[in-house]
Amino acid sequence: MFADAYMTRAMRLVTVRRMIEMRRLMLRYPTGKTALSGMTMNIEKGCFAYLTGESGAGKSSLLRCLYGGVRPSSGKLTVQGVDLRKVGSRQLRRLRRDIGIIFQDHRLLFSRTVFENVALPLRVQGWKPDRLVARAEKVLEFVGLKDRLWSFPEALSGGEQQRVAIARAMSSKPSLILADEPTGNLDIDTARHVMDYLMELNRQGSTVVMATHDLHLLETHPGDIFRLHAGALTEELHYVRADERMPHE
Amino acid sequence: MSVPTNGCRMNRRVERRGAQPERSQQERQMPRLPGGFSLPPFGLHQWLALVIVCIALWAVGLLWLGLQASSAWTQSWQKDVRFHVYLELSGKKQTDNERLEALAGKLQAVSGVAAVRVVPQQESRDWLNDWLGGSGEITGEMADELLPSLPGTLEVRPATDGGEFIYQDVADAAAAFGASVNRGEAHLVQVQRLMSQLQSLLWFGTLVMGLAMVIIISNTLRMILLARADEVQLMRLLGADEWFVHLPFLLEGGLLGALAGLLAWLLLWPLLWVVGDWLIQLNVDVSVLILLLPLLLGGALAGCLGALLATMRMASENTVAL
Repeated sequence: MFADAYMTRAMRLVTVRRMIEMRRLMLRYPTGKTALSGMTMNIEKGCFAYLTGESGAGKSSLLRCLYGGVRPSSGKLTVQGVDLRKVGSRQLRRLRRDIGIIFQDHRLLFSRTVFENVALPLRVQGWKPDRLVARAEKVLEFVGLKDRLWSFPEALSGGEQQRVAIARAMSSKPSLILADEPTGNLDIDTARHVMDYLMELNRQGSTVVMATHDLHLLETHPGDIFRLHAGALTEELHYVRADERMPHE
Repeated sequence: MSVPTNGCRMNRRVERRGAQPERSQQERQMPRLPGGFSLPPFGLHQWLALVIVCIALWAVGLLWLGLQASSAWTQSWQKDVRFHVYLELSGKKQTDNERLEALAGKLQAVSGVAAVRVVPQQESRDWLNDWLGGSGEITGEMADELLPSLPGTLEVRPATDGGEFIYQDVADAAAAFGASVNRGEAHLVQVQRLMSQLQSLLWFGTLVMGLAMVIIISNTLRMILLARADEVQLMRLLGADEWFVHLPFLLEGGLLGALAGLLAWLLLWPLLWVVGDWLIQLNVDVSVLILLLPLLLGGALAGCLGALLATMRMASENTVAL
């Protein structure tokens, strides 16, 4: 009896600590292509997770599943305790408001100013207009673009545009940030800067899941690594910080 | 400002690029609304939509003007449409009255006739007096000459849905009594009937144009939406409510429609100026002013409806994957 109660409590604690949980996750597109085949993995809250693998391995498809862009065909997928196979549109909207997404092509609105791009998630969440400018300035200051508040994205370089995308993703202080090859189109130096910002967001408490095939970044910016191949998880490496390591390690 | 990483192998210092690239002199500037927001983009798609909707609204306005002019032209006839049947009198009062009553009964039985009235002799005299210039009671030689020859008159009022052949039927019934129909009046009744049918057609045309306009606006706004599909998709990915996604486009559609309505209204004036002399000749008074509000509101409504249709279609397309 005691053991059962203990186990239930332990399971609950584990669930609370888990940001993403998936069991035998499958995703098959209407075209018939299987993007994910029986993937099982957990991502803990507060960790920085890399999804690596060759093109077509299923990284982007997995990220799409995570933000509810596609509904998994079978298996189980929960993000922040929300079952994404059964989620309704209202609950999905609520979940998406707590997720920051960074795309490889950054998907900025070129007909809108940097401020409007960054403030969009806040407007979606119903922030009062008088608070928007201050918050946008703050996040843009974080990525070093405070002085470009009223510029249009077309006037920014590729690296700056990606930093604006990061600012947009972090503006509403999401607990989960999904980044799909955010450094894919950037030179090494700019890519490292972008990674620094993502690491800092992670340090501030956000869980970051980033798809990348740029393995050089893993050396300078370590994190948990989930290696995918042909829609399946082939390797899982958990990074242990120096301050968390046991003395004999 | 240093930004530490969570990795312990190295503690990198983020190098902020202190020297930002020189801001281009050509950098786009847009007027900002309160709160820091800029006006929605107004590019080629919007111009095209404005022109197309304006033409559609102008056509509707034109139809309305035509309807108004034709209404004004036929207004007097519509109020009291009637024609007269004349019967030569023998001079014997009782016999004449009986013949008139019999003819009235016969005419009343004709299909499409709403009412028949025997016009009193005094009323005919008054009419004659007025016709002669209203100089007073007809007296003297003129009275001796004119009054005995005044025919007995019956006033026939056709029903609003009177048949196409009412005139011929009435003429046949009258001929049986040796009476005749006032041909001029009867022809006017036929013209009035034609105008009434034309007006119905105009109403129908206006309705069809209105519906076509909503479809045109819907497709045009859809074109705009397709150009801004990324924006819609992004809003949805950020967890926006459907009203949040729809509202800007509804407002944009409404404003665009209202603006097109205003332009269409302004473009009606030159046309009115061109046909002004013709309208004066027909003694028709047409008011373009009263079309301002219907065109503005109609345009705005059609714009909102079109935008709603367009966003609904886009919503269904975007949610297929979910």
